[in-house]
Amino acid sequence: MLIEFKNVSVERDGRSVLRRVHLSLTQRRIGVLGPNGSGKSTFIRLLNGLLLPQEGQVLVQGLDTRKEVSRIRSKIGFVFQNPDNQIVFPVVSEDIDFGLKRREPNPKVRADLARQALEQVGVPHLAERLVHTLSGGERQLVALAAVLAVQPEILVFDEPTTQLDLSLRNRFEQLLQGLPQPAIVVSHDLELLRGMERVLVLRDGLVVLDAPPNDAIAWYVEHCA
Amino acid sequence: MGSLFLPGDSWLHRLPGGLKLGLLAMLGGALMWVHDWRLLMLALAVVSTLLWQTGLSVAMLWSRVRGLFWLLLALMLYTLVVQSAEHAIALGLRVTTLLLAALVVSVSTSISQLMTVVLWLLQPLERLGWVDTQRVALAFGLTLRLIPELSLQWHDIREAQAARGLSANPLTMAVPMLLRTIRRAQEIAEAIDARG
Amino acid sequence: MSVKTKDIALVALFTAMVVVLGLIPPMPVPWVPVPITLQTFGVMLAGLILGPYRAGLVVALYVLIALVGLPVLPGGRAGLAVLAGPTGGFLLGMIPGAIVVGLAAGASTLRCLVAALLGGVAVVYALGIPWLMVVTGMTFSKAALAVVVFLPGDTIKAVIASIVAQRIRRLNLV
Repeated sequence: MLIEFKNVSVERDGRSVLRRVHLSLTQRRIGVLGPNGSGKSTFIRLLNGLLLPQEGQVLVQGLDTRKEVSRIRSKIGFVFQNPDNQIVFPVVSEDIDFGLKRREPNPKVRADLARQALEQVGVPHLAERLVHTLSGGERQLVALAAVLAVQPEILVFDEPTTQLDLSLRNRFEQLLQGLPQPAIVVSHDLELLRGMERVLVLRDGLVVLDAPPNDAIAWYVEHCA
Repeated sequence: MGSLFLPGDSWLHRLPGGLKLGLLAMLGGALMWVHDWRLLMLALAVVSTLLWQTGLSVAMLWSRVRGLFWLLLALMLYTLVVQSAEHAIALGLRVTTLLLAALVVSVSTSISQLMTVVLWLLQPLERLGWVDTQRVALAFGLTLRLIPELSLQWHDIREAQAARGLSANPLTMAVPMLLRTIRRAQEIAEAIDARG
Repeated sequence: MSVKTKDIALVALFTAMVVVLGLIPPMPVPWVPVPITLQTFGVMLAGLILGPYRAGLVVALYVLIALVGLPVLPGGRAGLAVLAGPTGGFLLGMIPGAIVVGLAAGASTLRCLVAALLGGVAVVYALGIPWLMVVTGMTFSKAALAVVVFLPGDTIKAVIASIVAQRIRRLNLV
């Protein structure tokens, strides 16, 4: 994977929310850490063009987010913090099917892909359930299955374990380890971040540290806790 | 929230949805011109037989028409008072026949079949570029997905306000509910866009 | 006019809102002859906040969901049966009604109130009463008399909707 940030700055409502971000992401597991308001959400939304930089460029495998947003979005699987905003159809299988429709015209193939994705996250029995009857943790897993079903090349997670109880959190950690795609994970969950190869620490819109997880976490605990 | 549809295998179930809807529309149009209570009774008898053929039991029928029944009764009483008994009876027969005929279609046609007919009817509009059936299907699914969630949100806001000593007041509840709804739309749109 | 994803999300959310409001059991209100349902309240809000195009889509989607057989109408009613029945015109009338509310709405609460009354009441009744007449065989005066009892409740809804909507419109979020 190669994602490049070239002198990126982002402003919102006249305020600067991200400045002078210039780096390349190539590792398989990258964490993003920082206090609230540090620019983490902005940072990851630059990855698939949900936000565009005022200055600079974001390139995903050579594609500019300003120009090739659809191609980029078909490569990146984005898992949002709140699964309720991510799941759009009332029945689990319908929602996963919807995500696949553009890539796969054959309904039977889509059904197979959906089933595989649900099995991958460990909840195949939820296929025909009504989403609003599921617990928060189950919804999180269903949202993940929907993203995995389209077999993205890169995964991005926005606070994936915040709403999960301990057992589900552990299950997620295991799942994450087993996923073949490179993943960028925004999280407050320090234990989860210890499993990363590289952690970016953001504060006040700047990348203040870019280091292996233990160093980054130690610095964070000392300066931002 | 269950639908009107009753799964089954009757000959009515097997008729194409579009055909049933078309016939219903024609029946509705025709009945508007009929005022003779004897003809209306005949129509009612025919429709009732059809309804029985769908496999609907009396209990299931009642649960589906309960809301409409009281309304019809009120209307009939009103007509009795301001016009005449004959008018009231004709009204009762006509409306009941129409209601039951519509129910025959709803009971014997599944939601996805009806959606297919609707999307088919929208096709000429799609060719004109006015309508995108994929988006109609998305809007439909999204709405159904959100109904239970919004219902919960309403109760949450109500609870939070009750805890502060405020009674259920549409003025104080509507604004937070709407703000949350609008913010949520932005988040949902973002998630849909991210899917590509 | 290009429909963005955000518009689809807003339309779906507001449609769900109209459903939820419509399913709240009729509430008795002092000085009002009949218990009121909140269905038209939701439609007025949609018109005032989303504007004519999106509000029209909201009500059209609402009617579509009801027609397809889901019990989303007040009292848990649904289906073609309602359309075939005496209140069908009031239901369909809400589509042009919502559009008119959106077209007539403005920045001030008073303007919103007028818009809500025009679209949410006048237009809806203008379509509902003739339909009622045709289905039941009543004369105009009888049909009009039958529905005049709902006017005070609808007026109150319009007042509240315009106050609420004006506050939301001011924030310029949509």
